[in-house]
Amino acid sequence: MSTQIYRALELMLRSSCCQTIRRRSCLRNAVLAPTACVPGGPVFPKRAYSLDSLGPGRPSLGHSLHHPGSERTSPSSALVHRNLSAAAVQGQFRPLCRYDYLDLGEVEENVRRAQACKKTRHFIVDPDLANVVAQHLGPDLQDSKSVIFECNPGPGVLTRALLNAGAQRVVALEGDKTFLPDLQEMEERLDGQLEVLHCDYFRLDPIGSGSVKAPTMFTDKLFTDLGISEAAWTDDVPVKVVGILPQRNERGMLLKTVYALFERLSVFRYGRIELNLFISEKEYRKLVSPPGEMRYYRAFGVLWQMACDIELLHKEPWESFIVSSRQSVPSSKGKFPNDHLCLVRLRPRADLFSAGLTPSNASTLLMMVKQCLAKRKVKLIDRLNLWSPDSGSKLLSELGLPEDILTGNVYPAEYLRLFQLMDKSQEFTQSWLYEEILENTQREGWG
Amino acid sequence: MEKLSQEKKNKLKKQQHLEQKMQRIVKEKPLGQSKGSKSSLMATGTSHKIISSAAKKSKADMKLSDKIYAAASSTTAVAAATSAKAAVAPKAPKPKQKDSKSKVSDKKAAKRATTEGKVKVKDEDLANVAELKQRLNQQGQDWTSLSTTDSPQDGSKGSLCGDIQLSIRSYLEACVFVGDIERSQSFLLSQHRVMSRRKYLTTDVYNIMMRVWAKRGMLNQIGRIFILLEEAGLKPNAGSYSAALECMGRQQNCSPKVIWRCLNKMREDGLSVDDLFSQCVFRQDERDMLLRAIHTVKPDYEPSLSLNASQCSSPLVQDFYTKREHHTYPKLDFTQEELQERFKRQLSVEEACTVTIDSVEGLKPITENMAKMREMLAEQRAQWHKVLLQALRESKMILAKTNTKAYKLDLYPYLCLLEDKEYVDIMIQSVTNMPPSGESLKILARDVGNRIYTKYCVRQKHQNQTVEKLGSIYDAYTDLLAKDTKVYNVLPREQWCKLEMEQHSGPTLQGGETTWPYILILELGTFIVDIMVKNLKINSDILNPAYDRKLIPILYHMYTFRSTRQVGFIKPHPILTQMQQEAMETKLTFDSSVMPMLCPPVPWTSVKFGAYLLTPAKLMRTLDGAMQHEELLEKCENLHPVFDSLNQLGNCAWRINKPILDIIISIFNERGSEKLDIPPPLSEAPKIPHFHPQDPTYTASEKAHMKREVINAKKKCSEMHSLRMDALYKLSIAHRMRDELFWFPHNMDFRGRTYPCPPYFNHLGSDVTRAMLVFAEGKPLGPKGLDWLKIHLVNLTGLKKRSSLQGRLEYGNSIIEDILDSADDPLNGKKWWMEADEPWQALACCMEIANAVRSPDPTKFISHFPVHQDGSCNGLQHYAALGRDVIGATSVNLVPCEVPQDVYSSVAQQVEELRARDAAKGLKIAQVLEGFISRKVVKQTVMTVVYGVTRYGGRLQIEKRLKEIDEFPKNHVWDASHYLVRLVFNGLKEMFTGTREIQDWLTESARLISKSGHTVEWVTPLGLPIIQPYHRTRNQVLKSTMQHINLQISHDAKERPDTVKQKNAFPPNFIHSLDSTHMMLTSLHCYSAGLTFVSVHDCFWTHALTVDTMNKICREQFVALHSQPILDELSNFLLHKYCSTIQTEARTKKYQEYRRLLLLLGKVPQTGEQETG
Repeated sequence: MSTQIYRALELMLRSSCCQTIRRRSCLRNAVLAPTACVPGGPVFPKRAYSLDSLGPGRPSLGHSLHHPGSERTSPSSALVHRNLSAAAVQGQFRPLCRYDYLDLGEVEENVRRAQACKKTRHFIVDPDLANVVAQHLGPDLQDSKSVIFECNPGPGVLTRALLNAGAQRVVALEGDKTFLPDLQEMEERLDGQLEVLHCDYFRLDPIGSGSVKAPTMFTDKLFTDLGISEAAWTDDVPVKVVGILPQRNERGMLLKTVYALFERLSVFRYGRIELNLFISEKEYRKLVSPPGEMRYYRAFGVLWQMACDIELLHKEPWESFIVSSRQSVPSSKGKFPNDHLCLVRLRPRADLFSAGLTPSNASTLLMMVKQCLAKRKVKLIDRLNLWSPDSGSKLLSELGLPEDILTGNVYPAEYLRLFQLMDKSQEFTQSWLYEEILENTQREGWG
Repeated sequence: MEKLSQEKKNKLKKQQHLEQKMQRIVKEKPLGQSKGSKSSLMATGTSHKIISSAAKKSKADMKLSDKIYAAASSTTAVAAATSAKAAVAPKAPKPKQKDSKSKVSDKKAAKRATTEGKVKVKDEDLANVAELKQRLNQQGQDWTSLSTTDSPQDGSKGSLCGDIQLSIRSYLEACVFVGDIERSQSFLLSQHRVMSRRKYLTTDVYNIMMRVWAKRGMLNQIGRIFILLEEAGLKPNAGSYSAALECMGRQQNCSPKVIWRCLNKMREDGLSVDDLFSQCVFRQDERDMLLRAIHTVKPDYEPSLSLNASQCSSPLVQDFYTKREHHTYPKLDFTQEELQERFKRQLSVEEACTVTIDSVEGLKPITENMAKMREMLAEQRAQWHKVLLQALRESKMILAKTNTKAYKLDLYPYLCLLEDKEYVDIMIQSVTNMPPSGESLKILARDVGNRIYTKYCVRQKHQNQTVEKLGSIYDAYTDLLAKDTKVYNVLPREQWCKLEMEQHSGPTLQGGETTWPYILILELGTFIVDIMVKNLKINSDILNPAYDRKLIPILYHMYTFRSTRQVGFIKPHPILTQMQQEAMETKLTFDSSVMPMLCPPVPWTSVKFGAYLLTPAKLMRTLDGAMQHEELLEKCENLHPVFDSLNQLGNCAWRINKPILDIIISIFNERGSEKLDIPPPLSEAPKIPHFHPQDPTYTASEKAHMKREVINAKKKCSEMHSLRMDALYKLSIAHRMRDELFWFPHNMDFRGRTYPCPPYFNHLGSDVTRAMLVFAEGKPLGPKGLDWLKIHLVNLTGLKKRSSLQGRLEYGNSIIEDILDSADDPLNGKKWWMEADEPWQALACCMEIANAVRSPDPTKFISHFPVHQDGSCNGLQHYAALGRDVIGATSVNLVPCEVPQDVYSSVAQQVEELRARDAAKGLKIAQVLEGFISRKVVKQTVMTVVYGVTRYGGRLQIEKRLKEIDEFPKNHVWDASHYLVRLVFNGLKEMFTGTREIQDWLTESARLISKSGHTVEWVTPLGLPIIQPYHRTRNQVLKSTMQHINLQISHDAKERPDTVKQKNAFPPNFIHSLDSTHMMLTSLHCYSAGLTFVSVHDCFWTHALTVDTMNKICREQFVALHSQPILDELSNFLLHKYCSTIQTEARTKKYQEYRRLLLLLGKVPQTGEQETG
């Protein structure tokens, strides 16, 4: 308990330093902080240490106070201003604190390090790009109480940009050992806003057997270590994930994630985890394919659209990223262009589980949608009748859909309502569809 | 305009030319001049049309071929231009790239420097290259005798185009078969008219139509087809002339002049009359009609046929074929009459195509519920039969009406090949055999399609009137096999060929049926499955009257999802599954080829003829749709030793070991026994926990847990079901055969390993099935037979692996009490046999020993029991022998030793030593493993290392073994298996140094060959050509109404070879091919010594009496095989095959590659001292 008080004190102290700038937010921070962070874990010693270090850091803070006017005009430029002034005292030997500007590093050096990576990965090295991403995670990063998970930061350009933008708590999950020392060094220089873990976010919760060694990890271990507890679905977003989806198995990864979301497994046990991912343009277009687009409107997109608010935040050409392999630009076969990586925000809907859908019957919904959309040009009524003979037309009329509607023309929301109706009816729960689900929960489709 | 008129002129010229030609031909025709001119007019009409319409139709045709054989062409990657977008990107990467480039060039420079530094070495290389080239030139002539010398591209004439050609042929033949001449004629013409479609037509396709007209005696039509041939730029072949002459023969008053003209024309095309008789396949009375036509002009002509008696080129079997005076070929223990009787029974089985047999579950008492269910099912089936018949007829009508375009390959003729009822029977059969967890659409469709094809083949044989002839030849053939006839000095194949030649009139036995392309089989199958899914219904309240009555489908089409792919599945409704399971029906229906044969199989005499009487069988088992093997085999002139060996294996008669069968069935119908490998019935399966996912009283984690339980229970159930069904099939077949004598026809895989054709029940099966089989023929034990039985028994127990034979015999004698007890009271006694490695075979052996011991004179005891002699790790033996590796050879028993060496134990011992050392050093996992390293743990891995198992696979194998040890801590399995596989690999590397070198040479050769764009091919010392069917995958989509089926074809010889597979598979495949060669050699020589011999790959079986002789032959043949310069010959062959197109342009990259390949292939690994052990 004493540590908590200690911590609260620290935050109060700190907030008082910059009251003029962000009075409201800091207050909220001070009040909420102890509850948001569960005690335990390796976090606290650092925090305590950082309190001591506040002393020498103060002059620079004071310095920034001199420009309150510019602060109001535009937050981003203000940050830059402040940071620039912070940079002026950077040469002093002292642990960095949150308001110090972090040098994003020599581009050349970062490129070299990124390209040395043995696995094929994309990296953000361009400082401008990193800042753009950081802003999109905002708008008010310094206010947000969400923890940011940065997946595979590599040389850490985006990490620094996030911290510079005022992120309160960044967890860098790096899967490649070679990047760890530098990140850890940065972690040590900071007073606790950054935690570095040897963990590959995209290899969480492996399905196969065998011993689990870092960077592979189970979600519960990760979250327990970080002191993040399970939250109700309707609560605010507890964690924002930001990163570049590995190109090797984009679709499989996204499928695995959306299944986990519906059943509230993996990270989604801990609440509405928001994903901010760079995915290939091609895959993004499939993700947001509307009904009627018979070629690409598939279970994959329907499920995501049903579960999340999807927002395209930013488009960036492939060339802006550094790739650790020779083949830098993926081929674009198929209908969609594939010139960009798209930063997409996938924020799970708070009302997803409000009307009849529960994590336990969600697997049936998944199966239903997948069976329906395996072919898009079949009549929905035929599918329904297959599961429960003669009930198709009744259901369709309840939904207000025409009798001859094709499965590829039904909106995600309509599928959700269809499922809710089906789930209530006795006939469907007797159907083999329900049996099927049980067999397939093994999820060979996680790939 | 000018151009146009020019074109017209050209056309006219062409036409005139054609007309002239036609008139020339027509003049040769027998019909009156007036008719002739009429036909010529008609013909010119068509030809004119053809020329004018060709351009128009070409587009439509493209569509057609695309549509029907929508082979998704490999999508070429479109590289996006990077430079255009570089402006947006940071400039940083650019100089970087340059940097790396310059580095590369630096490296190149460095390389150049080093190569220049090694000028001397290079000179040597050059000398080598020159020498090799010379060698190639010299050998050129030697190799021409082998037919495999064509350039590799030739063999890949291939799949896609081949598929279309095959489809066209199959379609035409099907039309002709059902008598739909109009359809076939208009189809051929519409194909012919359009250039892009015409290119798929071959002379043989035109011949199909000629045959039809010949049957009807319509010479003018044949004349037209000759014109079409000429238009298409094709040359008439023997088949064309034979049809023309046959037609003339059929006409009562055909003028000799016409026949003469035809014969003259034929001579101009370089064909003799004898060629007709030797090259053509005759159906019905075609041959006689042909002869009649020829007799009208040459009354004395008799076709001079010679036996294809070219002697085998392999020195390994030269003596076998030339020096036969001491051979005593075995006779079968039957009279000729008995064999002929058996033939008739087998024939009737195969004519029916399916057999219905009693299930061994039928021996159980019938409960009330069972009776009820059986009755209900029977009722339903009758109903379904009616519904399906109706549906089939309707869809046929729709098909017939909708296809208005003559050129379209539709399914209609294929749906007329059989009686409607037969299609329905096939459908009902697949419903009955449907596993409760369903079947993927692709597999189901393939099975259905194959069934239709088999039936069609059998009917074709009837239509061609080959069945009668087969009967008469077979009757004569039995003379060779029967015990009551004279002793022959020829092999079965030779006798059969001789008989065929003697009885030359009538149809040829090898009907020349076209094998359907895989895609057609699938398409037809899907069509049939679609009818089933749409029409088979049942009342939902049939089992539970509480439900509302609705008509629900019993089969439904759905998808399962694997990774990002979706797989179409056909699943039975739970109601159907429940009914079928509860009814426990007493009858099982199989394809007739599943049953062993009731008479000795037809000897293989050619690639396309052998094994079953009517059911088609492949000489070489291949992937569905892979054609390259067959093409290669057909080009091969002399496969006699391979045929003879397969015939020898197939001629071994078997019977059931009834006491063992009865015990097994009793356990099977009780509760099964997992320990004894008798799968228990589903009633023994874990109950599937029942819960409602909606029930709010469960917490989330409880629900998750229960879900997992349910899944596990279901998985276990479906595993148990498939095991149970497999055992049920085997036992039921055995039960059916309990009083029979029977035969297993054999064929081989693409490396020459032999297999019995019937899939479920054969001597290659598990311990249980092997124990049920004994030789039909009995032989006295002789002086040493009883000892061999005892040694065999000890071998089956898995004990005393390191004892000498004498030691094993002594051990056997010391436990004679246990043996007798097991034999007398297997289930209630001391149950000694149950502890053996192979318990059922051990029990059978116990009984045999007991009977022998108790007989008045054991040496005269007639034993039917097969005694096995295992090769000890054949793969390593072959490597050791190839490398003349003395140490290695000793440890695999190639060098005679007092005590048999056991390589597995040696490796285990070595691994144990290393482990102890590591444990002493404090390595945790080594300490955990203390006391767990046994022969059994390492055996499989050691055995498969030579067959190219990787560390990954090796680890899985060891993991499996470790999991089987109950005491071993489960949490260490993964680490331990990792650790052990490393030790095993290191241990083997030390023991077999020569092996490594050869393996590496083979791998590297395959890699370079594959890199150069070729598929690895070789020829076994017996002359069997082998080709590795590993290529890059091509996707082909079959679009059916139900779903699109995506076929991933990895064996298409047109695609580039898959280098990784080609290289990894070459060493094991090569060793397998040697190992099969050795088996074939042994089998041939055993045959000439009059022994009964069968093999399970490297395990050879014979009577106890003849074990010593077999062992002697086996050893002699091993020595003989390895006295051949196998590696040198392989090197020569590969050099000739892949380096014969000598590249002269030095300095190009291609030349460098060529040179590297040349040098590598020429550099055979050094071998040890030239002694063979």
